[in-house]
Amino acid sequence: MIYLFQILNGIGLGMLYFLLAVGLSVIFGLLQFVNFAHGAFYLLGAYLTYDLTQRGFSFWAAMPMATLIVAGVAAAIEALLLHRIYKLPHTFHILVTVGLALVIQELAIIAWGPLGGSVPAPQGLQGVVIAGDFIYPQYRLFTIAFTAVLAGLLWWLLEGTRLGAIVRGGSESPSNMALLGYNTMRINTAVFGFGAGLAGLAGALAAPIRGVEPFMGAEALSVAFVVVVIGGMGSYTGALAAGLLVGIVQSVMTTVWPEGARLMIYVGMALVIAMMPRGLLGRA
Amino acid sequence: MLDRRSFLTTSSLAALSLAAPGLLGRASAQGAALKIGVPVPISGAFAANGKFATIGAQMAAEEVAKAHGIEVSTLDLDTEGKPATAVRKVQDALAQDGIKLFAGGILSSESLAMGKEIERGGGAFMTTAGADEITGADCNRGTFRWSVPTFGAINQTVRPIIEALPDAKKWYTITPQYVFGDGLLNAAKAVFAEKGIEHVGNSYHSLTDKEFSGYLTNAIAAQPDVLLLLNFGAQSSDTLRQAVSFGLKQRMTIVVAWASGLEQFEALGPEIVEGVYFGAQYWHGADTPLNRELVARVREKHGFNPNYSFAGSYIISKLLLDAAVKGGSPEGAAVIPQLEGLKYAGLTGEEEIRAADHQVIKDYYLLKGKAKDAMADKDDFVDIVSSGKSFLSPEDSGCKMPA
Repeated sequence: MIYLFQILNGIGLGMLYFLLAVGLSVIFGLLQFVNFAHGAFYLLGAYLTYDLTQRGFSFWAAMPMATLIVAGVAAAIEALLLHRIYKLPHTFHILVTVGLALVIQELAIIAWGPLGGSVPAPQGLQGVVIAGDFIYPQYRLFTIAFTAVLAGLLWWLLEGTRLGAIVRGGSESPSNMALLGYNTMRINTAVFGFGAGLAGLAGALAAPIRGVEPFMGAEALSVAFVVVVIGGMGSYTGALAAGLLVGIVQSVMTTVWPEGARLMIYVGMALVIAMMPRGLLGRA
Repeated sequence: MLDRRSFLTTSSLAALSLAAPGLLGRASAQGAALKIGVPVPISGAFAANGKFATIGAQMAAEEVAKAHGIEVSTLDLDTEGKPATAVRKVQDALAQDGIKLFAGGILSSESLAMGKEIERGGGAFMTTAGADEITGADCNRGTFRWSVPTFGAINQTVRPIIEALPDAKKWYTITPQYVFGDGLLNAAKAVFAEKGIEHVGNSYHSLTDKEFSGYLTNAIAAQPDVLLLLNFGAQSSDTLRQAVSFGLKQRMTIVVAWASGLEQFEALGPEIVEGVYFGAQYWHGADTPLNRELVARVREKHGFNPNYSFAGSYIISKLLLDAAVKGGSPEGAAVIPQLEGLKYAGLTGEEEIRAADHQVIKDYYLLKGKAKDAMADKDDFVDIVSSGKSFLSPEDSGCKMPA
């Protein structure tokens, strides 16, 4: 029975990991840009939610506000700085975005202090659901449902709408899109802001579970990269499958081999890289 | 609106603010009569602790300077929480700055490494780090430790709770898998065995874990009466925060054996702290003469209450500097004899530095979180339930002090 509970817990964990990774995957898939500042945008989303709830805003207001602010900040950074390095090798992407992540992290320390803080779960979701011996927080159940709905909407937006087609076209053939009259620079800025906004949303959703502290971005970035690598760089469905896989493996391993639970995530990634270099659902 | 110019200006200020303590410390050290190195993490995951520690050491230096009419300065050494960096910074301070006194080392790994280096360099080192080995198997002539090791921490938290909750017979532990966590776990198991407590399970976790829901699910399945958390810092905060979200406060007693005190409670908030038991090295509300004085001075000068990082750094710096003044030299050979066997009125009451292993014999506190509406001020998170001294003998701790 404990394994069933751990699988259920792992699904909850996996949905959070998916949300964390999908923005990174979108940015890489559409812009071919390696964004090491993704964890910093997650941190920013969490801290903005913390700040806004401290100022008296409800969580339901703080969450979309934090997401939009992060998306706006990221879009501004892309327009001012990052678009200049798209055509340079990936090492430049890494160098600039790692620097950007450090700046955001230190600014968070200056703005909110080095100690961190807690964000209470919203009213109505502060209790637990009890099923036999299994206990699960209502807020975590909400994040599963919310992320599942969001996953469907994202898929529809990217695969089933004209907007999604324009974005994909901008990625695959910028010159043709420019000939058709589309401003590909604006498309890129919007895509980057959108992907970073998803990281901000993940931070906002995670804040009541994990709290906030200045170094949460680095841990989030490592999990996001593991999920993206396992799922396949740029694959939306791959991120979903890998997020769930990583969450379930980590959760079940806490019962089977607790001290190796986190290690197994990276072992899993190494195995996938060795056997399927493009990831579970990566594009050829 | 954040334009590029102001963005770059702000980021430069951020970088400068990190580097500033060290730069200022180095500048102020020029021409000083007595210098003390403060090797603590000023950047990285433990930067918050390190920054408070540097202010605490600075206050001790100012007091000693005023009391003895001499010039005293501190030199902040950013260890980044890494043993290799810590050793390199200490080597530089010994060789280039001629510093012989060192007060710091928040992490056990960095303290163990620095202690050996400082002893080799003929200096004296006092730390607040937790690993038993510091005054146990790896003890040395130049190293002293103010904080209570794992044996005392467990005995002063677990025993009083067992007595207060006689029906709580089943305990579950969550432990970080490294030497410090194992020290706490072994001490807890010994108390469980002696008191007839059923240890219904333990979950080990790695030092990089941030997600504890799986471990908590294991704990729930074991149906304990008490959940004993043996991790510390951000990991114990994460575990506790998630345990509260799983409703465990309503189903069992939660004990954090090694809490960092005020800084941790501020990060957690009163809703999470309420009703939870915490073991702590220091609490600003402790009613001792020196602590009352320190709290008043820190409030007046800095406008906040001293936390463990501040108070620990303050007292170890003061002990080293006073010993150097009394011994007439900062050299280890002069300072060490002044400290060995010293009895003094400390922050936790009467304290004594045991000569045989250089361990300070002091109180450890059991605290209990109070309800938000019962807090007298914003820092009044807990009541002191009990306090006391529990230490292994130097022989049992494994210290064979070199002659």
